[in-house]
Amino acid sequence: MTNATPTTTGRARTGLLAGRFRRPAGDTLLGYLLVAPLILWLAGTILYPLLSAIRLSFLDVGIIGTGGQFVGLENYSKVLGSDNFWEAFGRSLVWVVANAVLQTLAAFITALILKQRFRGQGLARVWVILSWIVPTVVVVIIWRWLLGTSGGIVNYLLVTLGITPQPVGFFGTGPTARTSVIFINSWRWFPLMAVILLAGMQSIPEELYEAASVDGASAWQRFWHITMPGLQAVLFVMGLVGMLWSINVFDIIWLLTRGGPSAATTTLPVFIYDTAFFKYRLSRSAAASVVLGLVLLAFAVLYTRVMAPRAEEEQG
Amino acid sequence: MSKIARLLLIAVFLIVAIGPVAAQGPVEIVFWHMEQPPHRVARVQELLDEFNAAHPDIVVRQEPQNWGEIYTKAPAAVAAGNAPDMLFAIPDFTPIIRAVGAVQPVDDFVAEMNEAHGFFPAAIEPYSYEDHVWAVPLWNMAHSLWYRKSVFAEAGVEPPTTWDEWLAAVQTLTTDTQYGIGLPANRHLYTDQTTYDFMINAGASEIYNPDGTLRFNNEATVAAFDFYKQLYQYSPPDSPNWTWGEAEACFASRTCASILQFTVITTYDTQAEGDPEDLGVMAIPHSADVEQSGTIAYVNGVMVLTDDPAKQEAIYTFLRFLLEPENYGRFLNMEPGLFLPVTESGSQAASYWEDPMVVKYKSQIEVMLENSRNGMLFGFTGGNIFPSIAQISAQNLLAQTLQKVLIDNMDPAEAVAEGQALMEEAIED
Repeated sequence: MTNATPTTTGRARTGLLAGRFRRPAGDTLLGYLLVAPLILWLAGTILYPLLSAIRLSFLDVGIIGTGGQFVGLENYSKVLGSDNFWEAFGRSLVWVVANAVLQTLAAFITALILKQRFRGQGLARVWVILSWIVPTVVVVIIWRWLLGTSGGIVNYLLVTLGITPQPVGFFGTGPTARTSVIFINSWRWFPLMAVILLAGMQSIPEELYEAASVDGASAWQRFWHITMPGLQAVLFVMGLVGMLWSINVFDIIWLLTRGGPSAATTTLPVFIYDTAFFKYRLSRSAAASVVLGLVLLAFAVLYTRVMAPRAEEEQG
Repeated sequence: MSKIARLLLIAVFLIVAIGPVAAQGPVEIVFWHMEQPPHRVARVQELLDEFNAAHPDIVVRQEPQNWGEIYTKAPAAVAAGNAPDMLFAIPDFTPIIRAVGAVQPVDDFVAEMNEAHGFFPAAIEPYSYEDHVWAVPLWNMAHSLWYRKSVFAEAGVEPPTTWDEWLAAVQTLTTDTQYGIGLPANRHLYTDQTTYDFMINAGASEIYNPDGTLRFNNEATVAAFDFYKQLYQYSPPDSPNWTWGEAEACFASRTCASILQFTVITTYDTQAEGDPEDLGVMAIPHSADVEQSGTIAYVNGVMVLTDDPAKQEAIYTFLRFLLEPENYGRFLNMEPGLFLPVTESGSQAASYWEDPMVVKYKSQIEVMLENSRNGMLFGFTGGNIFPSIAQISAQNLLAQTLQKVLIDNMDPAEAVAEGQALMEEAIED
């Protein structure tokens, strides 16, 4: 089986090259024409805004819609010299790591449970995905109600059961607000990861588990030596995409805390938005965006080089 | 020239010459306001329908927005050429739209309306600077201290007038199931407003010196922040996340014994007891260093953005209609008890006082009106008006400074000094 893949791939490549040399000019043109709308769309929606942001970062535009002069690297110098930027950067790192750990744990546990056969399995799989389907603004309203001190059920239970003498201000101090926001975001996103992991787990041949059981492997050994290697490709993609998504999360933080209290939940996207639209430093905000973009690019390259599963590992 | 070419030329000429005449329809006016609750939108629409029916040559259309987005959306719309013809405003929002070059002066029209209806002087002042008037005042809003008379009576508390009495009252009112007061600590406009209430009542209402330098960092401001902190310990622990709605909910659910708010009438009437005899409202208590209570007051107005003379005239026609006493009261009562009149004729209009909700809560509204007469707005006091206040307001720097005291436990004097530094940085450009 392991030998078959290269042979097939090799044959396909030969065929492709041969096809390319033989393809009539009309076909090539048609191909370009078919792809052109997508290329133009991407250029208009991604490339143009990206280049505009880079251009903006070298100007001194304050309020959106006003003009600006070229100021070279001044915005970059101010951003990189700003304590607020580095504090937001630090919070972003904490945010990403905490979310990654929480979501991965919750997703693994959920996927392992959902993989078992039990009555109501189908319903459970739908039920667990609900928190991901619900729009962010609804998630925020739900949790603000649940955690509120005026009639919030969580505080009611905490006080009634004697766990805390007074209601807890879940968004009232820096540490509690950070913890609450991370928890709520993880609650929202872990079902998606769980479903992806479940799909990955189901692609692992059942025979491997049966053979391991016959050989006397424990549940932990089966998980560690069969499930984990089998999920390597999935975990690699989830790690990369999840980190990039996670660091860019803005909506849930803004809607829950607006980056507060006292900037305790101001991550980089919140900092960038705040700089642009509340401090009216559009160009400085663009510079911060470019810096964040470069950091993410560097992370993606590094992650791909270090963490990418090798071909033989993927093939088991 | 061939016959066909000549015919074509004639056709083009006719299209160019007659086209605009043929296409000329009613003047269409789009206005943005930030009064989103459906009952307010419905009341505005009711007035628009009446106006449009009476003026077939004008069509006025509303597009409700929200305060949370308008600081971002309006400048972007101006830049994109999609700005509305009229935009509702508060004084510190106007300089931002002026900065993108879109606001038209309305001196002559305001003078005409002043002649006709008598604007209260304090209504025009926040929009008058740099030799022009930049918005037409429409209504006023002022903070008061809201409470339940029965709750105070049960606790043996008299309505306080000074800070010492206020602190003692709040301490007494705080029990296992009730917070003595609900005070916000969010980085939000609501917190800016309550913070400024304390500053006014500590004698720190002026933020600017006459030369435009800041005078925020002074002893009276420090005293205001210090007293806010003393009261804040009797406020719910989630108030660092509050906007106006949470405070009203806290009061309506009886979790908070008192709150600072523009009004609670609608919430109290629809979601709480709705007993006008029990709803108390009073002026915000003041420190011993100040003789009289004051409050924050926002005069809301409308800016004219279009530079098209025909549209401007249509807008003035609409605003004349709106400020007529028989219409003005109905306009203000889109939220009864919240929007207070800014004209003499409006304050006596039957259309204002005959609204069922206003009749029911008349005594409370009279107190609100009385309080609003001592109203002021940060950055728009004592004739020291500088457009840079928009930067301070947009960043909620009063609230940010307060958070340093309440959340970061910074010494008030140190926090106020940092607050002034933040303000100086904000207005540096």
